[in-house]
Amino acid sequence: MKHSNFVKDGEVTAFADTSLFSKDAILKCLYWFGDKFHTNVSLADNFFQITLKPLANANVKEDELDLYLQKLERDLIDFQLRDTIAKETQNVRDLLVAKAFSNGEFDEEPQGNISDPVGFNPNLNA
Amino acid sequence: MIETRPDRTTRKFKEIDFYDKQETNQYFLLPFRFHRLNNQKEVLVNEVGDHLVVPDGTTHAIVTKTLSKENNPDIYGDLIANFFISEEVIPPLIDVFATRYRTKKSFLEGFTALHLFVVSLRCEHTCHYCQVSRVTTDKGKFDMSREHINKGIDFMLKSPNPHVTMEFQGGEALLAFENIVYAVERTKELALLHNKTVTYVICTNLAVVTEEILEYCKANDILISTSLDGPNYIHNENRRRPGKNSYELTIQGLELSRQIVGRDRVSALMTTTTLSLEHPVEIVEEYYKQGFRNIFLRPISPYGFAVRNERKNKYETDKFLTFYKKALDRILEYNFNGEYFSEDYATIILKKILTPFPVGYVDLSSPTGSITNAIVFNYDGVVYASGESRMLAEMKDYTFKLGHLDENSYEEIFYGEKAQQIVESGINESLVGCSDCAFQTYCGADPIHNHATQGDMLGYRPTSSFCHKNMEIIRYLIELMDSDKRIKEIFESWVKPRS
Amino acid sequence: MLLRTKGISRNVSEPLVGRVTRNTDKLDGNTFLISESELPEIPNKNFKGILTNNDFTEKDFAFPTVSKIPTFEHLTEGDIVAVGNDGNINTLYRVNSFHNTLLATERCNSNCLMCSQPPRDKNDIPRLYDIHQKLIPLIPKDCVELGISGGEPTLMGELFFQTLETLKENLPETEIHVLTNGRSFAWHNIAERLAQIDYKRLMLGIPVYADYYKVHDYIVQAKDAFNQTILGLHNLARYNQRIEIRIVLHKQSIPRLTKLARFIYKNLPFAEHVTFMGLEYIGYTPHNIEKLWIDPHDYVEELGEAVNFLAGQGMNVSIYNSQLCVLPENLWKYCRKSISDWKNEYLPECKSCTKLNDCGGLFTWNLKKHSQHIKPFVE
Repeated sequence: MKHSNFVKDGEVTAFADTSLFSKDAILKCLYWFGDKFHTNVSLADNFFQITLKPLANANVKEDELDLYLQKLERDLIDFQLRDTIAKETQNVRDLLVAKAFSNGEFDEEPQGNISDPVGFNPNLNA
Repeated sequence: MIETRPDRTTRKFKEIDFYDKQETNQYFLLPFRFHRLNNQKEVLVNEVGDHLVVPDGTTHAIVTKTLSKENNPDIYGDLIANFFISEEVIPPLIDVFATRYRTKKSFLEGFTALHLFVVSLRCEHTCHYCQVSRVTTDKGKFDMSREHINKGIDFMLKSPNPHVTMEFQGGEALLAFENIVYAVERTKELALLHNKTVTYVICTNLAVVTEEILEYCKANDILISTSLDGPNYIHNENRRRPGKNSYELTIQGLELSRQIVGRDRVSALMTTTTLSLEHPVEIVEEYYKQGFRNIFLRPISPYGFAVRNERKNKYETDKFLTFYKKALDRILEYNFNGEYFSEDYATIILKKILTPFPVGYVDLSSPTGSITNAIVFNYDGVVYASGESRMLAEMKDYTFKLGHLDENSYEEIFYGEKAQQIVESGINESLVGCSDCAFQTYCGADPIHNHATQGDMLGYRPTSSFCHKNMEIIRYLIELMDSDKRIKEIFESWVKPRS
Repeated sequence: MLLRTKGISRNVSEPLVGRVTRNTDKLDGNTFLISESELPEIPNKNFKGILTNNDFTEKDFAFPTVSKIPTFEHLTEGDIVAVGNDGNINTLYRVNSFHNTLLATERCNSNCLMCSQPPRDKNDIPRLYDIHQKLIPLIPKDCVELGISGGEPTLMGELFFQTLETLKENLPETEIHVLTNGRSFAWHNIAERLAQIDYKRLMLGIPVYADYYKVHDYIVQAKDAFNQTILGLHNLARYNQRIEIRIVLHKQSIPRLTKLARFIYKNLPFAEHVTFMGLEYIGYTPHNIEKLWIDPHDYVEELGEAVNFLAGQGMNVSIYNSQLCVLPENLWKYCRKSISDWKNEYLPECKSCTKLNDCGGLFTWNLKKHSQHIKPFVE
């Protein structure tokens, strides 16, 4: 079942497919809307349903809501990208920081070989 | 025994693709964050603060692994060379990358450097944004006692840092000049025993400065830091004193100071008020006219007497940003005409963007510089985490009072639970909103500001003026550099290490 | 400028190293006598041997001789030569030159497109090491600077470090400049061994040709070279070794030159010196000229940006092998007269140039391949 995003009755509603968006990405995205909107997320048939309702004193005009929907759609993608990067790079990042605060105990071996045709081997000098 | 290689492998030259180490078109992401610079461009920032400005949509291509090396050879090379992607799970130069990271954070190495001694609360000015009590000149009980000075010095020399700065503040510090002399003389002796070098600074409005005072400063290499809010109609409006001549006295004091201690030992700071916000260009030109070749554009902090004079001092960050950009424009104009003139706040950020070196500016680092870099010994012996902490105390908020010189040990104050809690809240790598921010490595955290303006140390980014201001200034600086090569070169000249 | 000559040797069983003199009063056990006339009598003192244009091949001398040498005009009093049993006389050290270099080996583990000293895969290290061990004690103590080059000197292994130790002991006041690709230092033990020598007068000149590994590896024609060189540089920096980074300017290195400058500043800020070098038309370069040649006049913008950026950040920068007329005036202050005297030339039109004395000129072999924009300054 396909869902379309819409603006109705002064509220913005958007749907995010759970196979494309993670909960972390959605929550982090919505965090930034909290100064102007009351945000709500719920889950139903593999879609997150997100609603943004302007806060009373936020000064959000009715005709701006379309723009906010566009911003929400774009931000959801951006935050999903950030989530992907964070998850994919977590191990390297941990390794990087561990090495940064080490004293060289965890240094890598150099890659490849010294490639001397006559056979010099730096490891023999150890 | 190594001999001549029997099979003479030919030294035939190979084409460039032979040296391509990528396997089956795959690459791996390295940690980085991104931000939309404007409608056409994005900026990527890696874990050590290297940045790349790329066309809109590039991040998406990189992350979805659809970036084509054939169509984007230059960008692909940039991404590999600058540690944004790697052709192996563990990049071959990860140890170099780790050294870069360690270097960036090495401002932490020495721990506390800046020790602020509030030698007196007395002052003859009544600046309306002043963050300390205004007391008349007779009240002797608002001076720091010699016992407390001694204890403060002992704490200062306990810092692991081989180099410390002793900064005298107030009120008007020079009203307690004899105590400053006492403090400097005592420190000179003790510093030798502790094998430390000390930089001395006196913050003063220069209204009561004399030749004798300046000769002492010269003899002891003491730096003078004064206030200049702009041309006289701004300065005098902000900084009231009987006689309404704060500006004239400051200029006089400046000239005298420069004559005696030397130009490069005298600096000025400004405080931005609602009135200042209307005159960015005039303020910059006043600094230029007074012979300064740099200016520090910083907004007023939202507490202390600033809050009591809310009408005068409350302003939105947007207004400050407009002011900042106009002032920066005027500053760039001087530079376009071949004259060096820099803005200090931008320079701090630009050092983080353009150089591999550590930058330990107290108000813009992660972990926060409160306690780890700077500490305040108040006139009454109370120890505060920062200048702003003492302002909150004036309003009966003692959240950031760390202890008292008479009651607590060095360890209790600097390494105690309260200190730990404050610093823990000031690590932007783990703060909501900051942890994914592209500008994380260029920015910092200020738990005290968060507490004062939002009610908790961790802060709420969407309404944080600290966040709003810094994100926009950082974004603007990057956009400026990207838009005009001359500006990039000017900014590069600002960050050059001064020998 | 001649650096070697040849005659017929007798009684030379192993390579001999000694000073030369034309003056019998200056003879000692480490000195050869140059004889350009019929030898009146055998000197009654210790000497290394006799080098002569005459024919002593039939004579029954007990001491080493080299006969029928065509010329001695390139040899000055005090120069140091190596005499082989093949009659070769190689000048190892010239007292009147500021540019003396020891050739460590012709072996190399890279194969740069523009190599000026193409490698040979023959193990010449034991022989050359032996010659240098004999040479170093003879070098005048007031020698200001001495280079060590190759090939790749670190392929000597432990002998490389022993050579440095010999230099440190015999020539404590001499600056030593080693040209190396730096790759061996990626192996931590090699960097550590160098640090043990604690040689304050030693500087290593190491090339980095691009910030992107693929371009650098292609230029030096060796896989993993970039990664090894950068790791090597970091290991050396860990031990506070003095480093110079060298960049040869040609068609392959120019496109990413300004990016390389920023890479150097951010990742290798500990470099004591960065040099940008004009292309030498010798060695492999003529063979690869299509891939390499770009008229220097056409890269002044990239070069200017790279140089000005690094110098602007306080790094010590030089431009070598370039002519003043080809570069804009704001870069002249970085130009050095870097070309060794024996290979330094100027074009005929340069004779009338008012800046002739300040200009570094060209390599002898670049007389046939140089910028089209060379012209004299007129007053």
